[in-house]
Amino acid sequence: MFQKILIANRGEIAVRVARACREMGVRTVAVYSEVDRRALHVRCADEAYLIGPPPASESYLVIDKIIDIAKKSGAEAIHPGYGFLAENPLFAERCEKEKIKLIGPSAHSMRAMGSKTIARKTVQAAGVPVVPGTVEPIATEDEVFRVAGEIGFPVMLKATAGGGGKGMRLVRGEEDLRSSLRMAKSEAKSAFSDDSIYIEKYIENPRHVEIQILGDQHGNYVHLGERECSIQRRHQKVIEESPSVVITPQVRAAMGKVAIDSGRAAKYEGVGTVEFLVDKDINFYFLEMNTRLQVEHPVTEMVTGVDIVKEQIRIAAGEKLSLRQEDVKQTGHAIECRVYAEDPDRNFMPCPGLITSLRTPGGPGVRDDSGVFEGFEIPIYYDPIISKLVAWGKDREEAIARMRRALNEYVVTGVKTTIPFHIRVMNNRHFLEGNFNTNFIDKVFFPEERERELPHFEVAVIAAAIQVYLDERKQAIAGRPAGTGEPASIWKYSSRPGMPKIQ
Amino acid sequence: MNYIATIGEREVKVTVKEIGVARYMVTGAEKEYLVDAHQVQDSVWSILYGTESFEVDVQGRDDEYEVLIGGDCYKFSLMNEQRKALIRAGGKGAAGKALVTSPMPGKVLKLLVAEGEEVQTDQGVIVVEAMKMENELKSAVTGKVKEIFVKEGEVVELGSKLLLVE
Repeated sequence: MFQKILIANRGEIAVRVARACREMGVRTVAVYSEVDRRALHVRCADEAYLIGPPPASESYLVIDKIIDIAKKSGAEAIHPGYGFLAENPLFAERCEKEKIKLIGPSAHSMRAMGSKTIARKTVQAAGVPVVPGTVEPIATEDEVFRVAGEIGFPVMLKATAGGGGKGMRLVRGEEDLRSSLRMAKSEAKSAFSDDSIYIEKYIENPRHVEIQILGDQHGNYVHLGERECSIQRRHQKVIEESPSVVITPQVRAAMGKVAIDSGRAAKYEGVGTVEFLVDKDINFYFLEMNTRLQVEHPVTEMVTGVDIVKEQIRIAAGEKLSLRQEDVKQTGHAIECRVYAEDPDRNFMPCPGLITSLRTPGGPGVRDDSGVFEGFEIPIYYDPIISKLVAWGKDREEAIARMRRALNEYVVTGVKTTIPFHIRVMNNRHFLEGNFNTNFIDKVFFPEERERELPHFEVAVIAAAIQVYLDERKQAIAGRPAGTGEPASIWKYSSRPGMPKIQ
Repeated sequence: MNYIATIGEREVKVTVKEIGVARYMVTGAEKEYLVDAHQVQDSVWSILYGTESFEVDVQGRDDEYEVLIGGDCYKFSLMNEQRKALIRAGGKGAAGKALVTSPMPGKVLKLLVAEGEEVQTDQGVIVVEAMKMENELKSAVTGKVKEIFVKEGEVVELGSKLLLVE
């Protein structure tokens, strides 16, 4: 086993990895940018090194700096988390060259699976069903028009190096193709430093279901069942659960086999996820493989009892898988809500800033994988995810009830979060029935929300009136005219002296 | 004290009378309630409305309020009666002011217009990036770009002046 691991990431995932390391008795090395000195991942680590200015391209993404610190600190392995360098084969190669173990697949497997176009080729060869589209990145605008014409609208433009909805555009007709291509390329360029795009037939109203696999260095593979990830906004997963209400044991076994075949075809080592689109007749199509630890891995951990991050570290250390397929049992039901610093009542506008107060939920079956704390200023430079709230229950109904209960306990002030959005989803009739697909949020949920009557307007007005009353009284005492100036609210805290400011 | 909440065309009047420590007699919609209100955590209040318990997050700026209760967001404007009357009489400043400000802290990624350029209502004028999302901000009016206050690449705060359309 490793003595020391460098965690090349920040936020909740760096904290998650550090927790696994602590439990295993492995020392951890954090890296941090200039705005992250106070971040939780630094506080959770045994050692920490500054790696540069705030933009990720000058810090968390700089391979030379990460390698340098691994050597300096004597870390034998690097855990990349997700995002940043997690799926960068150049980084994997560099680690191989420097004899530092990357906790993840080899550069070879990353190339085979990390590029979606190559992944399609690899799995097609293994007889896995795929969605119609290009296998090669598209070279010219003319070709985009030609291929789109061939497979027929609607089509999806996707960044070859992509993930997380970035560099992705749905195009319904030829008239939008040119501008969508330009935007997809520009987003792909800034997010992944690679603007190559491929094109795929858009399957209407699919579900998005994925299989978690584990593979060791000795050719053993298991899958840990599925995660239902159909609740998405802007093609980005926001709520995940396991198991999926539509997947029967037979389909699960079939998908599991295909997922393991895909992994085996790429000589895959570590933890990985094979994503499928599932149509209304429960046909499934290979979508892509994520060659990293997934954001939503906790739902699988909750229903299988497997600590995926620890397994991942053991695999990297050369150990054999600690479990066989027949040992894997799904027990109960788990749901994850991704809590973002975004304002759900202002079109999900990003809300970086100071967390002025925080109350995290607890109680039975609740897990909060957070990367923040009260007094932390969420920087503008990185992903808006601040935590993942996970609830487990003996069945789906109990898991939802717990999630709703936990969300109502969760209080974050100073920045807006998506917690209210999640509460609303947990109350939506279609969600409760398990009746949804990847278009649910935009096509069903938002229109229904606009029509919904809110029950406590009177309480809201009274609370605000009491606040104004008290502010006016305070101002009157201070000798200022009442009714002017700023009411006491979180706004005045945003410039609280003594807090670090982003320049 | 009397307050008027406005939501769309609808107006609701509430009267707040302090009757003890953190206790108020509140009259709204012709009913009177005993309200026990404690500011427990920053902008969050614990409200006992009669005997019903609510956790309420109250955020307000410039008479505009956003109140969160049980995952629902109530947006309305609220001010005391005198102030409301004053504004009714005087009018609330000249309309047509079209200062584009940053709705969040972030970085100016791209200016889509130059000074002196004609813009239409809802035309995108500037792109501000925060947390890897690009947000195109639009002009609220048709007019000419009078002044641009920022440069591409500049980091801006919540509420920073970006440009002025006239």
